[in-house]
Amino acid sequence: MEIPDTYYSKDEYVETASGNKVSRHTVLCGSQNIILNGKVIVQSGAIIRGDLANVRTGRYCVIGKNSVIRPPYKQFSKGIAFFPMHVGEHVFVGEGAVVSAATIGSYVYIGKNAIIGRRCVLKDCCAIEDGAVLPPETTVSSYMRYTARGTIEGGQGNPYFVPAAMQDEMINYTKSFYEHFVRAPAPAS
Amino acid sequence: MPSENRIKILPKAVVCEESSLRGDITFSSGCVVHPSATVIADAGPIIIGENCIIEEYATVAHRLEPGAVWDVNNILSIGTHNVFEVGCQVEAAKIGDKNVFESKCYVGPGVTVSSGCVVGAGIKIHGSQRLPENTIVYGEQGLQREAIDKQGSQTLQIDFLRKVLPNYHHLRKPNYDPKKARSVV
Repeated sequence: MEIPDTYYSKDEYVETASGNKVSRHTVLCGSQNIILNGKVIVQSGAIIRGDLANVRTGRYCVIGKNSVIRPPYKQFSKGIAFFPMHVGEHVFVGEGAVVSAATIGSYVYIGKNAIIGRRCVLKDCCAIEDGAVLPPETTVSSYMRYTARGTIEGGQGNPYFVPAAMQDEMINYTKSFYEHFVRAPAPAS
Repeated sequence: MPSENRIKILPKAVVCEESSLRGDITFSSGCVVHPSATVIADAGPIIIGENCIIEEYATVAHRLEPGAVWDVNNILSIGTHNVFEVGCQVEAAKIGDKNVFESKCYVGPGVTVSSGCVVGAGIKIHGSQRLPENTIVYGEQGLQREAIDKQGSQTLQIDFLRKVLPNYHHLRKPNYDPKKARSVV
């Protein structure tokens, strides 16, 4: 699938040496605790809460507009603790999603306006539909699809709830998203 | 609406500078307001009780009804120990104590929230109604039932946030001390 080019203005995005493209209109709290492993796109309005705990993402992730990445907390008998959050490679987080997962595997698709509750575990190659609400401490295993109705579908025998080649699809999709997310050409003066 | 914002922050409240506040708002002691939170007091003052948490993209609004004007006596009072989670939008007429508004929920104007209620993630409540005490609003259709257990307290989280947030954010300074105000009078 070919993705049309998305243009951004030079003033809006910062490109780092490792190829991360980060909008200036994001709130990256505690930036010393946020590790973006290269070729990650963070679109405008996204919030990453590095001040609460470490956040680490693999390569070729896309963090959509107005989404919130927020490390999960757990309450103990004395005090609470925020846990570091790990995101794998080739993960797509849709617009307006709220992600409080403990770990997210690689090749995961999270739809628009999805809510991932505290300390959820998303294994490799799973998909979360647009607008789905995951209760806290949910595990979605590989090749499963979490629907907006709140059911987990897929598994052995009915493998068509995520594309059979989910890994390759996500690699292609995030890579081409990155390659087609280009700076607008300077206006001819 | 008064021309300038009148924001009162009592001592020990943690209010991030990146939050957007409009109108006459009072934050009692122990409140935590995360960056990118929004509080709008268009119709009248908002008074937020002690130990409330307002997270990112949460909106607490006291909006003007069509044709109404700013009224100093039209106070939206929010009780103590309330949590407004990421992206919720609350326009309730009155809010009691110890309520939790989960992510991306919407509570419309005309709803009165009593105490100990939980509005689940992504649920929208419209119309004019009163949530009785300890109501849980849950599921796709927004079913209501009474809570069996009491909600855990959020004080531990507030303690943690009060320690951590000042290290990473610019805070609005507390500008109102009830003790001093009393000694002046």
